[in-house]
Amino acid sequence: MSLEGKLALVTGSGRGIGRAIALKLASQGADIVVDFFRHRESAEQTARDVEALGVKAEVIRANVGDPAKIDELFDMIGNKFGRLDILINNAASGVGRPLADIDVKAWEWTMNINARALLLCAQRATKLMEGRGGKIVSISSLGSRFVLPNYTVVGVSKAALEALTRYLAIELAPRGICVNAVAASAVETEALKFYFKEGLVKDSRQATPAGRMVIPEDVANVVAFLCSEEAFMIRGQTIIVDGGTSVGILALAGK
Amino acid sequence: MNVEEQIKDILARITRVDKSIISRQSTFKDIKADSLDVVQALVAVEETFGIEIPDEEAQKFQNFGDFVSYVESRVPQKEKV
Repeated sequence: MSLEGKLALVTGSGRGIGRAIALKLASQGADIVVDFFRHRESAEQTARDVEALGVKAEVIRANVGDPAKIDELFDMIGNKFGRLDILINNAASGVGRPLADIDVKAWEWTMNINARALLLCAQRATKLMEGRGGKIVSISSLGSRFVLPNYTVVGVSKAALEALTRYLAIELAPRGICVNAVAASAVETEALKFYFKEGLVKDSRQATPAGRMVIPEDVANVVAFLCSEEAFMIRGQTIIVDGGTSVGILALAGK
Repeated sequence: MNVEEQIKDILARITRVDKSIISRQSTFKDIKADSLDVVQALVAVEETFGIEIPDEEAQKFQNFGDFVSYVESRVPQKEKV
């Protein structure tokens, strides 16, 4: 699989899954736009590591929860490159609270970053993909379909993300744009350490039939496949990367 | 209005506390700011002063005074540019 000469925007690629995706796509030859919101040092490190793979990297700060910042992000890509081949909608945020404590602010913050951003980024990205096809891949989580404690807003936002993925896939199919998502279980990242601390997830090694936790590279591998021509006929799907957690009953069997 | 008063206004608006309870010694917890409030306050302060406050720096803030001092140290620096 080669992505040589392609340009990929990976939102939230300073750390974790986004960083792994940026490096994976770069290793296949794609130039990368590294977007970040809060961690500039991490984003610049990702860019240096991308460049070390022999491709170009551009760092830009944009909170994808803010439509004006999304416009700035795509204006920059349009002005500087005039095209885009791959959009990885990875940036995510969330508020871990019981249902009773979810206020409008927490709801809007999470929904805007996790779900609305895909719509707004896709609207801008498709213009830059005009006449050249393209790939749009979003990162979801098991919380879109399974109930996790204090995960309500994020889970609902990911469900919206997956539904939007299906709608975009159909509407953009005639333009040669493939739209899909990858849903992971708990992935070993800095964000997960935060969730551990907040008591949102427990150590899930025991519940993972594959015997270890999912790492960012596991997700990046599937994203890279979805960005390849080999995946051309996969449309509107959410591929689960969870080491069998969601279909395994080992945890229930007490093993 | 000085930097401290402007940041106080921003925090009070976001957390909906009376700004009179915010002092240099106040922690984010004292002013009932949860993690989302803090991020929103950081973004609002960044936009007000035209600076960037990376999380790596923000995580070092022990109290409101640290927040103000950091912004004060950045604002003149920007004006010199």
